[in-house]
Amino acid sequence: MGSVVYTQPDGTVRELEAEAGQSVMQLATKNGVRGILAQCGGTLSCATCHVYVDETDLADCGPLADFEDDMLDTTAADRLDCSRLSCQVKVGEGQTIRVTIPPTQL
Amino acid sequence: MSDSLTEYPFDLRPAPEAVAHQQRIAVDRPLTRVAMQYGDEAWAIHRYGVAQQVLTDPRFVRGPFARRERTVPAAFEFPEFLLDTLQFADGDEHKKLRRLVQVAISPRRVQALRERTAEIANELIDDMIAKGDTANLAEDYATPLPIRVLSEFIGVPVEDQPKFILWATTVLSLDTPEDEVLATGMELYSYLLDLIAARREDPREDLLSSLANARDKDDTLTDAEIMPIAMILLVAGFDNTAGFLAAGVSALLRNGDQRERLLEDLDGRIAPAVEEILRHAMFEVGSPMAGGMGTVAMVATEDVDLDGVLVKAGEAVYVDPASVNHDPAAFKDSQIFDILREDSPQMMLSYGIHSCLGAPLARMEMQVGIAELFRRLPTLRLNGEIVRNMHVLTIPVTDLPVAW
Repeated sequence: MGSVVYTQPDGTVRELEAEAGQSVMQLATKNGVRGILAQCGGTLSCATCHVYVDETDLADCGPLADFEDDMLDTTAADRLDCSRLSCQVKVGEGQTIRVTIPPTQL
Repeated sequence: MSDSLTEYPFDLRPAPEAVAHQQRIAVDRPLTRVAMQYGDEAWAIHRYGVAQQVLTDPRFVRGPFARRERTVPAAFEFPEFLLDTLQFADGDEHKKLRRLVQVAISPRRVQALRERTAEIANELIDDMIAKGDTANLAEDYATPLPIRVLSEFIGVPVEDQPKFILWATTVLSLDTPEDEVLATGMELYSYLLDLIAARREDPREDLLSSLANARDKDDTLTDAEIMPIAMILLVAGFDNTAGFLAAGVSALLRNGDQRERLLEDLDGRIAPAVEEILRHAMFEVGSPMAGGMGTVAMVATEDVDLDGVLVKAGEAVYVDPASVNHDPAAFKDSQIFDILREDSPQMMLSYGIHSCLGAPLARMEMQVGIAELFRRLPTLRLNGEIVRNMHVLTIPVTDLPVAW
């Protein structure tokens, strides 16, 4: 098991347990975490599951997936160095990944 | 009228009864096998979870329709040109095109159009006010707004917009003679080809320029690849947005409490309001509703178990979005129109790799269109019944009489 800590733009925090290998997006949509739309269902074609990853956890998120870099340039909220598409970030065994949800996905 | 659980699809009935029937069917079973007017039988999906599963499962494909091996199961004869569009491509071919287009129609790109859309909306409202204190909102606002935004977004010069609009609406007509549709389609096609060539030569800040100059690893997109993308944006980009805009305004005007909630914080509440309009507004416009509409079908490439029902290899499935969006397992009190509904991942714009390509644009147009209308005309009220044209593929709203 691992976990993800989601912080909303208004500061509300919610922590959820994740199965190893589950994506930060899948866990969010399964549990009704607001602000992660993921309209394309994780097929890397909508850029509506954008998150800012806590800098201390960035190394746990793996490299940018093929085309993720291009898609991150198209997100509604500004791209930062810690931006990722949450459908591409998988939670590893024992890992805790902290993310902040941007003010808008559209 | 019978309300048997086995009755699906079902005929027109008062909207609240239609919703209740959809809810009961979704509880009763995940899928129903349906005989279609065209093509083979197909399974209609009623449950939200099953719809999500199918729309993201690569074992369900549309290639057999694109290759003309099978007829698309549907209530109407599927227009031939749509079979060559992105909507019918599978796998890597789809992925390559979809991603290139997605960059051109991304949330960021659409954000940049928000201000211009508000300007166009206000010009249209100015024109309505100048004419008096009543209007046909469909004709004067809900239809021209997305048409003008999309024309500018695609890159159609202002002077060509009237003929472009005429061509685009004619190719969607279900009762125009076939040879006329074909001839109009050819005119539109060659017009767009010329425009693509011009934009390749002299790029501007518009979609055709982006597509004409888009590169993937191997090469630039060819005209043959760009054309179906432009065509599908036309098809989906006009009438659907106009229809939801009109239905949304009508639903708000018929539900005074919801309209008040929106007016209390127009800018803060318009985004969830639009999601709720997409999910449920068609059931709140006062017209009877039938059950059975669906997304384009997909074919199973192997046997797949869906919530206990075996769908065999070669069988077709489609999602009934109205049913899925009222599945009690996914939406609490799904019969209630609640613009502040939280965690409402409605599926009207579909889901997965074939989810609506223009979704960011459609959402933005609806948000801006409805917010500006109520900002300028807070006393807006209904002045007659909504009318839809059943002879056009997208069933556009033709009349929505309002006064202020």
